[in-house]
Amino acid sequence: MARVPHILKLLSGPEDIGRSRWFWAVFIAACVFMLVYPRWLSEFQATNLAYYLLNVPIALGLGLLWGYCGVLSFGQVAYFGIAGYTYGIVAGNMVGDDFGPIAGSLCGIALCAVVAAIFGYFVFYGRVQNWIVPILTLVLTLLLETFLGQTAGYQWRVGSVQLGGYNGMTGIPGFQLGSHVVMGYDFYYYVLIAVLAIYLGLRLLVNSRHGKVLLAIREDPIRTELLGYDIRARQLVAFVLAAVLAGISGLFYVQWGNYITPSQVGLLQASLPVVWVAVGGRESLLAVLMSTVALNWLNYTLSSEGYQYALIITGALLVVVMLFFPSGIVIALARELPKRGLFGRRKGHAA
Amino acid sequence: MDSFATIVSVIYQFATNGAFLLLSAVGLIVILGMMNIINLAHGELMMMGAYTASIAWHRNVPFWLCVILAFFVVGIFGAVLERAIVRRFYGRELGALVVTWGISLILSQGALAVFGPFLPAIPIPGGSVAVGQYSFSVYWLSIIALCGVLIAGLWALYNHTTIGLQARAAMQNPAMAKALGVNTDRIYMLTFSLGAGLAGLSGALFAPTVSIAPFMGQQFVAPAFITVVVGGAANVITGAVGSSVLLSLVKTPIGFVFGAFVGTVALLFAALIIIRLMPDGISAVLQRQIDRRNRFA
Amino acid sequence: MSEPILRTEGLGKRFDGVVAASDVSITIPRGELRCIIGPNGAGKSTLFSLLCGIYRPDAGRVFLKGEDVTRLPAFRRVRRGLGLTFQTNRAFHRLSVRQNLSAVLQIARADRPIDAEERYRFALERFGLDPDSEMPAKELPHHQLQWLEIAMVLAAGPDIVLLDEPTAGMSTDETLQTGAVLKRLNAGGLTIVVVEHDVAFVRDVAQRITVVHQGRVFAEGSVAEITEHADVRRIYLGKA
Repeated sequence: MARVPHILKLLSGPEDIGRSRWFWAVFIAACVFMLVYPRWLSEFQATNLAYYLLNVPIALGLGLLWGYCGVLSFGQVAYFGIAGYTYGIVAGNMVGDDFGPIAGSLCGIALCAVVAAIFGYFVFYGRVQNWIVPILTLVLTLLLETFLGQTAGYQWRVGSVQLGGYNGMTGIPGFQLGSHVVMGYDFYYYVLIAVLAIYLGLRLLVNSRHGKVLLAIREDPIRTELLGYDIRARQLVAFVLAAVLAGISGLFYVQWGNYITPSQVGLLQASLPVVWVAVGGRESLLAVLMSTVALNWLNYTLSSEGYQYALIITGALLVVVMLFFPSGIVIALARELPKRGLFGRRKGHAA
Repeated sequence: MDSFATIVSVIYQFATNGAFLLLSAVGLIVILGMMNIINLAHGELMMMGAYTASIAWHRNVPFWLCVILAFFVVGIFGAVLERAIVRRFYGRELGALVVTWGISLILSQGALAVFGPFLPAIPIPGGSVAVGQYSFSVYWLSIIALCGVLIAGLWALYNHTTIGLQARAAMQNPAMAKALGVNTDRIYMLTFSLGAGLAGLSGALFAPTVSIAPFMGQQFVAPAFITVVVGGAANVITGAVGSSVLLSLVKTPIGFVFGAFVGTVALLFAALIIIRLMPDGISAVLQRQIDRRNRFA
Repeated sequence: MSEPILRTEGLGKRFDGVVAASDVSITIPRGELRCIIGPNGAGKSTLFSLLCGIYRPDAGRVFLKGEDVTRLPAFRRVRRGLGLTFQTNRAFHRLSVRQNLSAVLQIARADRPIDAEERYRFALERFGLDPDSEMPAKELPHHQLQWLEIAMVLAAGPDIVLLDEPTAGMSTDETLQTGAVLKRLNAGGLTIVVVEHDVAFVRDVAQRITVVHQGRVFAEGSVAEITEHADVRRIYLGKA
């Protein structure tokens, strides 16, 4: 029972923005609102809202990896795709079996973890320079896209499921709990609760002792190692965790839309998590969460207008943020507003 | 006679693969070696070179001049990029990666918006030459020759010009170079410009062999990055040449047996293994050899 | 007879033709406060790096608590009870003092569990720092930053600490304070090896001095012996 206050203390730890009672009151109010909101929405609108949310895990994973551990991966979407396609294959071959979607989900996550572990072993145990990780992870996802793109023929199938080449895989079954298919409002709640659980779980992690070591690795890997930590193992674990989170987003995506195409692992898609994390602020999970939802909403709204400019705006946003708000817009606001007397005073804050 | 032709064919395959990798990567390596920055807009700079060549060629500019034009146009654009944006990220390598990615998005999407989905193609100049049962493209033979000229030119630049000397000083120890009167700001700008120009040059050279479209740079990005990772930042020339040669040795047989895509995948695996053994790339290993020899010279 | 805590046999290291260390054999008994001195370019830093495991020697061996650690990289030696600080300060500058503390809480030691938090606070309070401070470490004055790094290293409860020029950049007063704390820690049983330039500091704290010159052990003895040593004075004045 003594664990509960300890967990609460961890949740409220200093490694993310927002600690005061005021903050938690607003946070809980927002959660309640999100739970109740669908009463005023059509099913279509609710699933749209779910779409903005489903990209949060991949962004949080990158935020953890980049902002808290100092490792930048450009290829998180590879795991998005691996999980999505794997789910499609497994669940697609188990149509009619209620356990299919769960099996597919587990397989998707497992494969992400395995690929990330192998890839990460070569990279982290090789003690390579900083810029190698983003480059090689990007290469991995580009090669994955090329591979998936050429799987058009009939021979490219696993069991009864076609990979589909550039047109992608269609007819992917939705998620099921028992015999109950999760769609519409149910799907919204499924994603919402999962996202909240993931956010709070990560918040616990970064405030825990393990999280503090990650911070140290970000700051000075050599010094951290010479305090006696095995940084390669810890970086590898963070990398695998981020891959699993990216895979979870991939699962949500195929369970939402029932299809996936190779472009989901391509260069343009790969830039999006980087944009979400950079714009919000990589050193805060909350900032990442907020900016991901906001930018997904923005992208959706823009593409309904004129898609061709949406990505130019995305690129420009990235450049502007890197130039003028290098720690992220949400984080910059979180630092500035208290100084100007809004939202109460904060004592001197940590970096 | 048949086996002679086969040998020539193998050498040709090996040389074209190597030339492809070298040309794809040399612009990146020049910048990496100086500023320790990977320019993620590299593919888009190659695209710009191809676009320049296509536009010029269809105005009846002779092809060789199109290529030179591409070099300068993209080189100047690179200088502008460096001054406006990239220079604010020296010392922040990861930040530079991210910002150049933003630039690449703007350039590729911008090209799509302004020029549409395709630009008119350039037919491959030159014909082919037959040896035994194989025919070889004169164009690719010229590209291979051009690589040699390019490497020689870069070598001369770095080792026999004042600017090259200043550049090498700035690469080894920027603070010291500055203290000795080297204008490091100018060197960085010129280096970035050179790297961009080389990307444009490569793009123009590859233009006749691919379709000229806004995202054409992407097909070069994966091989270029792998070449750069294996090459490392210690020495531009040994990195570029050593890496292209080594990777071509991997890609040629595998690509021959299993096809081009598997060949590229093999490159990724090779890179992962190589960085495990030589984390700072081939250039670092070769540089140590060179230094050792110099010491006893 | 108790095993010396750190011992080397015939250590040698070349860097492409430059002999940085040659036939270096030193023995550090448990509980000693040893200073390693020598003129510039003598090979002190190389020796330090060889002891830590940052460099692997070309010849010779290193023994930590009787175990041959020659082939072990630095972080494995740290886990066996070696602590080390660097010449250029490597505390986590962007993190707060409190966060620097948190980083050391999870230290895994190969042989026994330790209460890092207590040790860290103890060390910090000895040095007069506030362990709960949210101030970014880089805003600390230089000498306190050095103390912070030492305190972090001490939190692991090492059996022996190697310090590379810890008083570089400190005023006389701060140097004296550092010396006082080191002496107190040493009195509590901690073996300390300091590579140093500051002669006054060395005279104040050292129990034994090793003089390094041109990569070799030039002389070794107590403070009195070394200060009287004519040859030592000569190498410092450049006449050797």
